[in-house]
Amino acid sequence: MEEHVIELHAVRKVFRDFWRRPTVVAVDGLNLSVRRGEVFGLLGPNGSGKSTTIKMLLGLLRPTSGDVKLLGAAPTDVSVKARIGYLPELSHLHTFLTPRETLHYYASLFGLSRAEAAERTRELLAMVDLESAADRPVGMFSKGMARRVGLAQALINKPELLILDEPTSGLDPIGTREVKDLIRLLAQGGVTILTTSHLLADTEDICDRVAIMDRGVLLAEGPVADLLRRPDAVRFTLQGVDEAKAEALRSRLETECGGTVRQDYPSMSLETYFLQVVSKERKRDVEKFALAPFLRGEGK
Amino acid sequence: MFRSLRPFLTIAKTTWLEAIQQPVAFLTALASVVLTLMVPIFQFHHFGEEGRLARDSGLSCLLLGGLVLAVGAAGRSVAREIEGGTAAAAIGKPVSRSVFLVAKWVGIFGVTLFFGVAQTAATLIAERSSSHAVIVGDVPAQMLDVLSLLLALGLVALSLLLAAFFNWALRKRFGVMAFAGLVLSQLLAVAVTEWKNPFVPLNLRVLPAAVLILAVLAVFASLAAALAARFRTGTILAVCTGVLLLGLAGDTLFGTAGAFSLRGIGSGVLPDLQNFWLSDAVARGGRISSGYLLEALLHAAVLCVLFLTAGCLLFRNRDLG
Repeated sequence: MEEHVIELHAVRKVFRDFWRRPTVVAVDGLNLSVRRGEVFGLLGPNGSGKSTTIKMLLGLLRPTSGDVKLLGAAPTDVSVKARIGYLPELSHLHTFLTPRETLHYYASLFGLSRAEAAERTRELLAMVDLESAADRPVGMFSKGMARRVGLAQALINKPELLILDEPTSGLDPIGTREVKDLIRLLAQGGVTILTTSHLLADTEDICDRVAIMDRGVLLAEGPVADLLRRPDAVRFTLQGVDEAKAEALRSRLETECGGTVRQDYPSMSLETYFLQVVSKERKRDVEKFALAPFLRGEGK
Repeated sequence: MFRSLRPFLTIAKTTWLEAIQQPVAFLTALASVVLTLMVPIFQFHHFGEEGRLARDSGLSCLLLGGLVLAVGAAGRSVAREIEGGTAAAAIGKPVSRSVFLVAKWVGIFGVTLFFGVAQTAATLIAERSSSHAVIVGDVPAQMLDVLSLLLALGLVALSLLLAAFFNWALRKRFGVMAFAGLVLSQLLAVAVTEWKNPFVPLNLRVLPAAVLILAVLAVFASLAAALAARFRTGTILAVCTGVLLLGLAGDTLFGTAGAFSLRGIGSGVLPDLQNFWLSDAVARGGRISSGYLLEALLHAAVLCVLFLTAGCLLFRNRDLG
């Protein structure tokens, strides 16, 4: 039997005003489970109930009705929270603290010793590429840099369950790629990951399973490949085929299969193209920098 | 043991650091200390009670400045953090809501305590300087010790310059350095004036009076922190002001009430400020017994526990995020 790390059963959350009158039903009858070791994506438009669901999982919001279990216990159980990493939608950092102090702060909340905290802080600052800015107040950071600090704090306790609310929000394409690679790396190491995102391409890249919500209701759920697969269609990709041969193949396939055959030319994603262009330019810069002494006649 | 205390201490320390850096906190403390040190210079009609005027002004500044600090810090560190999401980020970690709230209170009271030390030292200097005994010819007389006051004020200015230097040269936080400088400057001023003129003793009976005012501030900090768990700064300020006014009128409202009457309960729950205001007793030369001091401190501690428990209950089911 597969172990479920997250279980939500008939969960409903109604927000109320000061007089306890219901104002909005944020989540309505949600049933969801996430298996150990998988990367699960929670998708939906703004106001669909994704963040509310995450906050109920963390015990920050109490469900109006229904049952929420996290690692087999109630989300308010403090010992369970010690095994979870959480990155909020907005990083919510103390602006007067530096990244180093921020990571020490969160390490202390997990009860890590000073030495452990220092070691973990060093590792994480290197991982999110903030070593050079480690002693500047977070309040001076761009949104992307603050996001990196947020991501580092979510990993401070080496969590077995990582909850990421819009992890790539505010990051440039390179940062986004790094975060996606990191998520896959953590998943390979056995960390269960629940993530939300508006960026569907990012979710498709990293998630094993997804659920789609709208207005608090679960609309679809399943493995990404299964949900996106069109069982009634097959695509071949051929290399080294010229126009005339492609045309001949197409008419032959149409005769054989009796249906319409659609012919197109595969293209790379804009993200892949962007990363190729930028990395090529950066490589050229590095080479130029390394060759500079030689060009000036200073090299041996 | 210490490991389990670490989250509590970290939240308390961060709250202290955040509150002490607020410009309004430092400006309140600075204004209060400077005002106390300048009272003896600008008092003209004192009817022979120069010392008392300086002492009462100093203790009043301690009470009012401390209230502004405590209530303001509670609004910023608890209410605004709950609204802004930093509280949710901490409570998403293995930290219970009660630990979070109580640690916040400790941090808030820490700032008040820091201010209390500087203000009490300034009060001691102001009182002694205003009734400085000297011999004029063969006649003993009371004279204003302007030099001690100028020394204390000069040390405040020097501490500000040093804080600015540390901020510029070593990138130390100006707010923390300036606040620490203010406290150290006043302690140093007390030590120097004591060393310079050991024959005029400091009125150490001011200390128990200051301790009881700090106890009242602890009570108000706990009330403000408890309210901040549910309400915004405006509400916190309004309720604390109401409790302060009721507390000031405590003797009139609840003075002769029996323990089990409605007024008796009121007198137990509301901090009756008259019980914590020892300035009149100090002025009349009465003895401040350690028994009374302990009883009043115990009363304050019970009130703190009461308000913090109410705060934890208010915070327990609050939606965060």
